[in-house]
Amino acid sequence: MELRGKKAIVTGGVRGLGRAMVEKLLENGTAVTVFDLNAAGLDELRKEHVNCVQCDVSDYEQVLKATSQYHEQFGAADILINNAGILYSEPLIKLTSEGVAKHDAGMWNKVMAADLNSVFYMTVCVVEKMMTTRTRGVIVNISSVSASGNAGQSAYSAAKAGVNALTAVWAKELGPMGIRVIAVAPGFTDTDSTKDAVSEAALRETVKKVPLRRLGKPAEIADGVVSVIQNDFFNGKVFELDGGLIV
Amino acid sequence: MDAKVENLLSEVLQMPASGITDDLTMKDVDAWDSLKHMELIVALEQSFEVQLSFDEIVAMQSVSAIKRVLRERGVTG
Repeated sequence: MELRGKKAIVTGGVRGLGRAMVEKLLENGTAVTVFDLNAAGLDELRKEHVNCVQCDVSDYEQVLKATSQYHEQFGAADILINNAGILYSEPLIKLTSEGVAKHDAGMWNKVMAADLNSVFYMTVCVVEKMMTTRTRGVIVNISSVSASGNAGQSAYSAAKAGVNALTAVWAKELGPMGIRVIAVAPGFTDTDSTKDAVSEAALRETVKKVPLRRLGKPAEIADGVVSVIQNDFFNGKVFELDGGLIV
Repeated sequence: MDAKVENLLSEVLQMPASGITDDLTMKDVDAWDSLKHMELIVALEQSFEVQLSFDEIVAMQSVSAIKRVLRERGVTG
């Protein structure tokens, strides 16, 4: 897909990887709309001529309303990047000073809502419009190398494995209509959310396991996202960008 | 065009061509669900070199409706 002149929605585009993707799309002449919760961040983005929608993409009612307004204004999107989510780490059973504690069930639900439900909500609303207008669009789901099972990340790993499964299902369902569905799975990247969710010591240990001995840069992940959008034969697969962490 | 449509339906729905009659509808065939319908649409589009609108796709829920829409789109041969 040629990016120039196309319309893209990026969820969670205010900061981190999402922001890098927004910048890369803008450089390529794509009209970008960001769906994000962060009102202050959206105000900043508006100054860069980015259309901004405040929306909690883990809430189906909000997604229905926001996508409907988007479609009224712009018609069908050509590209949807499901990037919004929470990076969260917690062992299944924790040892604490008071003994043992279970993984917080509330956090399990919150992560599944933000990282998996949101992908379903956004995609079902955006693809419906693509289909009814016969738009040959692209859905990019931001997954993670954790989808294969990362110790200490029950909810995050399960949600990302779900994202990979949805990518395969939707690629098969929507491919005949010319809609491609792709996942991009970054390894550990140099973002605030990585630093917030993973301890410095754990991150140092992880970097030692990466053949390139460093974290990924957001711009490198954004480059990967743009590449898979542009390649019209890439479909239904997970594009891993992890510096060789999983080989 | 009629025979070509019937052969395509027979192939996609995996049922004998003799069973593909004009009054056959999606409701009559278990295998003719929405996913199969999209497969059928793609086969029709490729075979007759047309791009159908979504309204047309929704309307094509019987053999007679498929033939009617294709005729309206100028498909003859």
